[in-house]
Amino acid sequence: MSSQSPYLLVSYAQTNRVLPEPYQRVVVAVIVAALLCLPAFSGDYFLHLMNLCSIAVIGAVGINLLTGYCGQLSLGQASFMAIGAFTTAILAQRYGLPFLVAIPASCCAGAAVGFVVGLPALRFRGIYLAITTLAMHYAIIYVLTNYQAVVGPSASAGITVPAPSLGGFALTSERGWFYALLIIAAPVVIFGINLARSYIGRAWVAIRDRDISAETSGINVPRYKLLAFTISAALAALAGSLGAYFTTVVTVEEYTLELAIVYLAMIIVGGMGSVTGSVLGAVFITLLPFAVERISEALPWQLGTTAFGIQEAAIGVAIIGFLLFEPDGLIEIYRRVATYFERWPFRYHEIKPGGAR
Amino acid sequence: MELSVSILALGSTYALLAAGIVVIYKASRVVNFAHGELAIVGAYVFHSAGFLTGTSLTGLSLVATIAIAAAGSALFGILVYFALMRRLLGRPTFVAAMVTIGLAIILKAAIVVFFKSRSVGIPIGRQPLYNFAGGGRITWIELISILVCIATFAALAVFFQYTRLGRQFRGAAENPLLAAQRQVNINLILALAWSLAVFSAALAGVLFGSRSMLSPQSTIIGLSGLTAALVGGLDSLRGAAVGGLLVAAATYLTARLISPTLAETVPFLILLVVMSWRPWGLFGTVEELNRV
Amino acid sequence: MSKRKIIGMAFAVLAAGWLGSAAAQAQDYKIGYITDLSGPLAGSYTPTWQGFDLYTKALNDRGGVNGRKINVTIDDDGLRADRAVAAAKKQVESNEVLGIFGLSLSSTQAPVIAEMQKVGVPVVSTFSAILDALPPAKPDYFSTGVMFEVAGEAIGVLQKQIAPSGKVVGMTFDSVGGRAAIAHNKQTVEKEGYSWDEVLFPVRTADFTPFAQTAAGMSPAMVVGHYGAEQNIGVIAALRAAGYTGPYIIAAYGASEDTARQAAAQAGSGDNIYMVSRYAVPTDNAPGMADLLAAAKKYGIANPTSMHVTGWVLGMFAEEALKKCGADCTREGLDKAIQTVKLDTKGLTGGPIEMSADNHYGPTYWRLYHWEKDKLVGVGDWLKKTDLTFPVK
Repeated sequence: MSSQSPYLLVSYAQTNRVLPEPYQRVVVAVIVAALLCLPAFSGDYFLHLMNLCSIAVIGAVGINLLTGYCGQLSLGQASFMAIGAFTTAILAQRYGLPFLVAIPASCCAGAAVGFVVGLPALRFRGIYLAITTLAMHYAIIYVLTNYQAVVGPSASAGITVPAPSLGGFALTSERGWFYALLIIAAPVVIFGINLARSYIGRAWVAIRDRDISAETSGINVPRYKLLAFTISAALAALAGSLGAYFTTVVTVEEYTLELAIVYLAMIIVGGMGSVTGSVLGAVFITLLPFAVERISEALPWQLGTTAFGIQEAAIGVAIIGFLLFEPDGLIEIYRRVATYFERWPFRYHEIKPGGAR
Repeated sequence: MELSVSILALGSTYALLAAGIVVIYKASRVVNFAHGELAIVGAYVFHSAGFLTGTSLTGLSLVATIAIAAAGSALFGILVYFALMRRLLGRPTFVAAMVTIGLAIILKAAIVVFFKSRSVGIPIGRQPLYNFAGGGRITWIELISILVCIATFAALAVFFQYTRLGRQFRGAAENPLLAAQRQVNINLILALAWSLAVFSAALAGVLFGSRSMLSPQSTIIGLSGLTAALVGGLDSLRGAAVGGLLVAAATYLTARLISPTLAETVPFLILLVVMSWRPWGLFGTVEELNRV
Repeated sequence: MSKRKIIGMAFAVLAAGWLGSAAAQAQDYKIGYITDLSGPLAGSYTPTWQGFDLYTKALNDRGGVNGRKINVTIDDDGLRADRAVAAAKKQVESNEVLGIFGLSLSSTQAPVIAEMQKVGVPVVSTFSAILDALPPAKPDYFSTGVMFEVAGEAIGVLQKQIAPSGKVVGMTFDSVGGRAAIAHNKQTVEKEGYSWDEVLFPVRTADFTPFAQTAAGMSPAMVVGHYGAEQNIGVIAALRAAGYTGPYIIAAYGASEDTARQAAAQAGSGDNIYMVSRYAVPTDNAPGMADLLAAAKKYGIANPTSMHVTGWVLGMFAEEALKKCGADCTREGLDKAIQTVKLDTKGLTGGPIEMSADNHYGPTYWRLYHWEKDKLVGVGDWLKKTDLTFPVK
């Protein structure tokens, strides 16, 4: 192995490796080890933030598959998450079903709704598609608002979801949640990466780049678009379901259009069309308000409540900043750094035609 | 009768918003998602300017306030173009659309920072104009809204049809490269488009704030304006007017005759119906939907 | 290269600042305040926070409580439950707070309360109260705020002072809180012999004309609005334009005399505008108002309103609780102390705020105000409510 160049591929197994370079395997191993040891060195608050990131990662992977890979601009992310959350709330609180039943059921519910939303979306592209998904979002939220108002002991406080439990062991601590979410998010990310590398992912990219050519190449465009909607909605529902268990209360007011925009921001910042980018973007956007808050606390002069307005603006600044200066997202920065080290000591400047990866 | 006047008044506000979106779309194929925020921020600036020039918004102080707000919004439009939109020329238009989403977020935060999220009203023209037998009445502001809208559309129509700059605008919209080669200053055209759009947005915002009230949440009217523009056709001014009236009528009639709580979703349903039948809008140019 | 160096240095400076700023006075009482300062209800919650802030500043000027000053950590939740929970966790862990005050709308409160119950940190909400505070009260949650169900009933009783009979039309937006308030308002007035009708509109409505026209078409003797502050401005204007000139009652979930003033200007006339509020307005000249006005003047808050009074009274409550807790206060100590608070608000509410082990809300006092020319004037006396007359559905 040591005498062979990593660039000389001699077997199919080698071409299919997710991490072809040795240094990549080392990096991943280090990251995994660090994550596993993290709870030992962090307080509850930091773990809470990490848990929020994990949930966001799941949702971000979902929307990246739909919008980044398949090119279907969807504003319905929040409503899919709401479907997942409410399904979980109803099954767990009203019928007392365990989380092993509730979570998959929520994913199925999300998938079903995603499929239904995808049907009219087959006709449209671009802005019109976005508006169609927005209309669906409002319709779904309307239904859920009526549901919440009618059901529930204290309707204004939402539906309370009991903590997920297996046998006698209930998941309530941040540390426990950290590992649980890691166990769920990691396979989701791997699933996303593999999906993107498979024929499905390639079909999606073909549809995104020019769907007419994709169709003439023999790709069943409606089938793959619907598949994208279904999988994306299922993942969003999963994120919503986990969020419901995590915050223990489900209210429909949480799932606004702004939330859908936040997820779009995650993939813009992270890199559209890259699953690893979704991870980076999700972490970045989730932690951004807290980072801005820390920075404004550390500043020598008192900002008072203006600081909170700045926090709100931060995500808009991030969107504009990345779109103007780094349109391929954080993952592109990573790639540049990785390429620099890979090619070192040769200086290697990549010539990129517009839009190519 | 009272209902139709109200529909006309609200429809004229939506039509003004739609017109702004159409102007930008015609010029640059960019869908402006920040239009509602631009309208409300413009109205807040008007309200604050009103306090600078004197607390009663009548007479000379009203003229001064209008002048300040008009100049400010036009300049802000130019600023938005040169600072943001210009850098996105040549990129896919959906990138520019996302940038306007970012701009919308920043503008909304600006309301929080600069105006402390306080909800205000613009008390202009609240005096009754005509009282109906049944008890309803038309106030001056409704008439003013309708007249201002008609005047703006007329001015825009004259501008695009009969002035040299307007013709250059249309030319640049159809084929920027060719127009640039014929010595049309594309930057001027686009800056003008943004300036007109922000000005009309602020105008719509002020009219809206006078009829109703302003708060950071009022930016939702941008969505109604966008729906109106889509229904009418993103590149048609005529469509903007018709779309605005349609959306207003749908909202009103649903709220009064069917169910108040559905009033929010009905415009979207109308949009879905129109788009299923004619995806490019009622008056839009028929072409392959490869945009954004 | 140099650009990277500059960025690196900037980060180093900020990191140093971050670490350095963590050092606060070890002897201060540390409490936290979380509310919506940038989201949909910021217009109402910002003045409430300002009132609380004024009180703690004035208190620290006097030397604090039990010889210790109060250090308040303020965080914004943007009216989102997940941010509220994250802020609460941060305040408990990094800022080591004894108790959390403020909170925002009821939808954000339940998750925060659940988390704080785990660590035993008492939470006192102002402004919005959820049913958990009524007996049998759930632990660690108290409220000095407005509970939709109780307010709906109080308004129903106070309405009698305006007109003795006729039809009452309730308007609200289609949220769970609004519906709860309407349900209790309706039951109360129907028991008194009025007829009732209601108009609900979507939460994100910007133009109220059709809803106002529907309401006006019902020929009401009075109209009550159950929503946040801003909607009142638009609704009153629309009602007047629709031809309804009768009494309109602003239910003060976040509204203040500022709302009434704006509404009067927007409607063209200030006639027949009323407000029901749990907290006094500054023009009431209650004994405690002088301190508030002095502090407002000193710290540059112009025109304090009843929303500032809400926060100010919460500050008084906090001081009373800390005083009872003693010089070395712990979280359980504070919790127990709050349960024994009997606060004389010096006229800022109609009567004292009284907590007990079983009742974390206590009796509440409500007053009807009438807008006269340029201020709100109280009509009649304060109405005392000790519990809910009608069951919660």
